[in-house]
Amino acid sequence: MALLEINDLKVEFGTRYGPVTALDGVSLEVEAGETLGVVGESGCGKSITALSVMGLIPSPPGKIAGGSIKLGGEELIGLPDKRLRQLRGSDMAMIFQEPMTSLNPVFTAGDQIAEAIMLHQDVGKAEAFNRAVELLDRVGIPEARRRASDYPHQLSGGMRQRVMIAMAVSCQPKVLIADEPTTALDVTVQAQIFDLLNDIQRDFGTAIIMITHDMGAIAEMADRVAVMYAGKVIEQGVADDILDNPKHPYAQGLIACIPALGKGDAGRPPPLAEIPGVVPPLHLLGEGCAFADRCAHKYDACAKAPVLGGDTAHPVACHASAEARI
Amino acid sequence: MSVILEAKDLTVRFPMPRKSLFAERQHLEAVRSISFQLEKGRTLGIVGESGSGKTTAAMASIRLTGPATGAVEFEGEDLFTLDDEAMRKRRADIQLIFQDPYSSLNPRDRVSHIVQEPLDLLEIGDEASRKARVEELFKLVGLRPDQLNLFPHQFSGGQRQRISIARALATNPKLIVCDEPVSALDVAIQAQILNLLAKLQEELGLSYLFISHDLGVIRQVCDDIAVMYLGRIVEQASRDELFTNPRHPYTQALLAAAPSLARRKSSGAKRPQQLKGDPPSPINPPPGCAFAERCPLAEAVCKQMPPPLENGVACHVANR
Repeated sequence: MALLEINDLKVEFGTRYGPVTALDGVSLEVEAGETLGVVGESGCGKSITALSVMGLIPSPPGKIAGGSIKLGGEELIGLPDKRLRQLRGSDMAMIFQEPMTSLNPVFTAGDQIAEAIMLHQDVGKAEAFNRAVELLDRVGIPEARRRASDYPHQLSGGMRQRVMIAMAVSCQPKVLIADEPTTALDVTVQAQIFDLLNDIQRDFGTAIIMITHDMGAIAEMADRVAVMYAGKVIEQGVADDILDNPKHPYAQGLIACIPALGKGDAGRPPPLAEIPGVVPPLHLLGEGCAFADRCAHKYDACAKAPVLGGDTAHPVACHASAEARI
Repeated sequence: MSVILEAKDLTVRFPMPRKSLFAERQHLEAVRSISFQLEKGRTLGIVGESGSGKTTAAMASIRLTGPATGAVEFEGEDLFTLDDEAMRKRRADIQLIFQDPYSSLNPRDRVSHIVQEPLDLLEIGDEASRKARVEELFKLVGLRPDQLNLFPHQFSGGQRQRISIARALATNPKLIVCDEPVSALDVAIQAQILNLLAKLQEELGLSYLFISHDLGVIRQVCDDIAVMYLGRIVEQASRDELFTNPRHPYTQALLAAAPSLARRKSSGAKRPQQLKGDPPSPINPPPGCAFAERCPLAEAVCKQMPPPLENGVACHVANR
């Protein structure tokens, strides 16, 4: 049994167009010590998946309409708030995209980390603060003791994200969810954060769910990858398989449209491969494959929604791929 | 080839608030005596991290930001000496595309009017010809005529960026300054916009001053590249040269830090070179090379003397 198992998860949101299915039968699992990359465009349900695991779907308008989420065998859906609060922070933790808005501006970095430690462990304030300083040192903040008394606005973007990470790993969670942890950061800082997350995983055996839209980040971070589109997982497998041999036309497009940095040929690079159009609004999804309108391989069968299937190690939800038309 | 935009010794200093009534006023030099040339029909990329002064440099070079010194020549005419009315007229030739397609379009205005507004302000053509121009622009950037009367919130991020591009093209400019035009977009949409910009450049003979922090994007669109660090240009080269033979240690580090599909976790690949820490503060910058603190090659001389930009690179070690 995997450490975290999400099975056939359905999440609905009440909108003015009626109930809209944001997640439609998502199944994922993560083992201890591995990184699952979840990749897709904005609006495909990556963050909703993460928030469901943390029990943070705003309700209303959101509602978990079905499925199960099990952490270490314990069902999370329908758990009382009190138990969820115990689990959040100690067994599972999350790093958000924008460190400035997710830190409290009126408390120092050290106090905020100490607060998390005191909530979950039986330690006093001074001891918690000392541990916070150790953690800040661990995540690579220079002069950690002095920096612990700084307020978030006194820290740079990279340091704020390190504080978030220190807070998230303060109780050595089993599962760490990183929702686009480096989108707001510069590349040199992004590289440092990636290395830090990999170090933490090696030291504590943390399972990481890395949510991103960047295939480059996936290559560096993920052991396994799930590609999401319009609330469904459409392809899943080992990172190398997905990157070298993507089967779904959407996954192929996501990889082909990245401007290459490689040395390559001299002169102006050829135009990038494009995925035409945009993700359809969820309330307009019909019966068929949600990607069909943007897909170059569309044919009659696409009028019916494909299901994730085929090779169990590398399943894909695409008629054209299943019938070897690609 | 003729030069369309040339900056000479461009410096931008922002006054800081006084610490006390009698304290000396401190200044923040966001851009420190940089020079560059943009040739007609080509794209000059300015790349750097946040706070490196790339946006300030671009805005100063089209006279959109405060107290700049030095000189900027647009088609041989010094922009800093023009009077306000002449500069306003000149703006027809210079347009902008901003980073955030959500905040750069007026949410209460219909998109047809947003695109038409530059024509109204500069009094180009009559009402009917302006309307026709807007429709033509919509087609050019890949939007449908039936979308003309919608509001910005009814469009996706990529479509909004197309509207920004249409607005920038309205006056038939010669130069477009693109300030991180794709960094707020998803990768799939980013490719669409980059291809559109390349197509427009070819069809209309535009010149771009292109600001980005993403080296992949820079390589895709730019012919010439200037790398900025803490207000200075540290390396300046053509695309092929910069990407095959980066000389400044900062450029090398930037290239090494960029995520790459080839660097796999499964194969245990490690980044060849890692930068520690953050750039120093632009208030009271270090006396020597600004990068010396983080530089793997730094020597004693680097901390004392700022390196001059010679042979396209500002580095004591690389220029030896």
